Amino acid sequence: MKYWVKKELKPPHGKVYIIEDRCKGCGFCIEFCPQQVLQESEEFNSRGYHPPKLVENDKKCIGCSFCSLVCPEFAIYIEKEEENED
Amino acid sequence: MARRIGVFICHCGINIAGVIDVEKVAEEMRKYPGVAFATTYQYMCSDPGQNLIREKIEEENLDAVVVAACSPSMHEETFRSVCKDYFSIYRCEMANIREQSSWVHDPEEATEKAIKLLKATVEKVRENEDFNPIMVPVERKCLVIGGGIAGIQAALDIADAGYKVILVEKEPSIGGRMAQLSETFPTLDCSQCILTPKMVMVSRHPNIKLLSYSEVIEISGFVGNFNVKILKNPRYVDEDKCTVCGDCEKVCPVIVPNEFEMKRAPRKAIFIPFPQAVPSTYTLDREACLGLAPLTCAECRDACEADAINYDMQAKVIEEKVGAIIVATGYDLYDKNKLVEYGYGDDDDIITSLEFERMLSASGPTGGKIIKPSTGEEPKKVVFIQCAGSRDVQHMPYCSSICCMYTAKHALLYKHNVHDGEAYIFYIDIRATGKGYEEFIARVMEEERINYIRGKVAKIFREGDKIVVYGIDTLTGKRVEIKADLVVLAMAIVGKKGTKDIAKLLKVAVDDGIFLKEAHPKLKPVEALSRGIYFAGCAQSPKDIPAVVAQASASASKVLSIISKDKLEKDPLIAVVDEEHCSGCGVCISVCPYEAMQRQPNGKAKCIEALCEGCGTCAASCPSGNIEMRNYKDEQIEKMIEVII
Repeated sequence: MKYWVKKELKPPHGKVYIIEDRCKGCGFCIEFCPQQVLQESEEFNSRGYHPPKLVENDKKCIGCSFCSLVCPEFAIYIEKEEENED
Repeated sequence: MARRIGVFICHCGINIAGVIDVEKVAEEMRKYPGVAFATTYQYMCSDPGQNLIREKIEEENLDAVVVAACSPSMHEETFRSVCKDYFSIYRCEMANIREQSSWVHDPEEATEKAIKLLKATVEKVRENEDFNPIMVPVERKCLVIGGGIAGIQAALDIADAGYKVILVEKEPSIGGRMAQLSETFPTLDCSQCILTPKMVMVSRHPNIKLLSYSEVIEISGFVGNFNVKILKNPRYVDEDKCTVCGDCEKVCPVIVPNEFEMKRAPRKAIFIPFPQAVPSTYTLDREACLGLAPLTCAECRDACEADAINYDMQAKVIEEKVGAIIVATGYDLYDKNKLVEYGYGDDDDIITSLEFERMLSASGPTGGKIIKPSTGEEPKKVVFIQCAGSRDVQHMPYCSSICCMYTAKHALLYKHNVHDGEAYIFYIDIRATGKGYEEFIARVMEEERINYIRGKVAKIFREGDKIVVYGIDTLTGKRVEIKADLVVLAMAIVGKKGTKDIAKLLKVAVDDGIFLKEAHPKLKPVEALSRGIYFAGCAQSPKDIPAVVAQASASASKVLSIISKDKLEKDPLIAVVDEEHCSGCGVCISVCPYEAMQRQPNGKAKCIEALCEGCGTCAASCPSGNIEMRNYKDEQIEKMIEVII
């Protein structure tokens, strides 16, 4: 459905950084992400766990940083991308 | 026990006398034991008819009266008020020989049945006892469900009369559909400009308690004494602290469609539906918010300088006692996806009437500019289709009452916006029955040069960047094909989603599952069948704003007639438990729909007078036959059955 407004509201966007080797595969970030941006990857990290990876469309991340809050290993963080005013 | 019973048989013009041999009935009844007098009269309900009863009670020294006429729901009160001067009203009974006999049987059978019904009624009245009405106290407060123009008007009228009103609105703000409209026909007043003063009055009125973002979840009791439970949903924003600065909205990262804008504009998870909302406060949409438990994002709270946001707010159940209830739940448009022949749902350039209202509104998504949604350009050819879903046996058979008028208004406003545009209106008939409506239609047709085409549209489909509308002009008999930029469907009006649930709570009837059913289509248009419950607005039937306001004031005056009294009279014909023989099994307690049967400390059942409605369910269910209905005692009913068969 298309909005009729001239200027569409743009949600903020965050870039997700995953420090794969720190991950212990608890899955909290996947479980608690409100936008369901993350999923478990099939690869192993150096410690033998499956770290998270982004689902195909990482545009959905709005940068709430809840993943980094729940991560027990400080293995994930977000950088908010500045909006381009155009 | 009555020993001198008078029988009065009404002809009801030819309604009864045209079928039933009334003289024969009177002759038969004169012979019946206990009947001291029997006569017939043309219209027993007329003044001379009533005087005849009075005269004969005195002359013949009657101690009970049976009137054989229409249904007691019509005239029982008339005849009982005649008898009141001489003896207890329960010594006056009616035998319904019109609806139950003359209207439905052949002459011979009808006459025979009329005699039987009369004999049975004589048997009943013979054993009737005298009772005085039960006096019940009245809670001098009213509940209004729905905060649209109907609910607002009703609440203001009652509050102005000096009584307390509780106004419950499901949405974050009152205002309802009228707040969504751009301008109102036929005077083209700005809808919000005439509505918002009333909304402000509601918020300021000392007698009105406004519960927005709330729902009625439970109703029990009876006229004068309803117990209501209202669920107040948490809006996570303190209404009193919020200053509507909008800082929270700016930082909220969640974007969802705005229902107030018919989902044609976005809003944040924390939002105010429109600037003039009452109560004037933001609301956090729990469904859209990133998460409250656990709290995921706290951007809005951090941004709020007034410290109004509280994520720990809980839903609250508020209990209230009220004397009367007004239901003004309003309307929805017919489900657009069901109109497959008009291609709705697939195409951006086919929109509904309410969406067009928002497009026309200066505060709407386009700022009042008319656009072709697929491209954003100005549409040069617009087709309006009336009766989209109304007057159609495949959809809704009834007329939605206001579409002719608002479509004319739409076309006019379109022409005022787009001077070189062409507007076409497909119609079945034009129904312009209100004051100044016909003149408005004439003005639109002639001065604004709108093309009215009498006929229904057969098919709508897309061809390139145009929408092709196929139809037939039934006045010329020619096929019409219009390549339009925009198509506006005047959708049928249906009762608000959830009307059925409210009706179930209130135990009131719903017509075909769509609109609330009034007690009498002509003489009791705002009353529900259950006393103390009234209707206002489009919840009862589609209607225009003047009619809604009139109906709201009507139901307010009905409510005032109840809550302005200290005590109400209640019918004393209730259930009585023979306590000596009650075994305390509790069956009656479980079946009573009014919670009138209650267990006493000694284990036996007792009927609470004020709650009992005299339905008789308990009496029928008692396994030992120890509950009797006053004036419907077992012996009476047995005797009645005996004389009938």
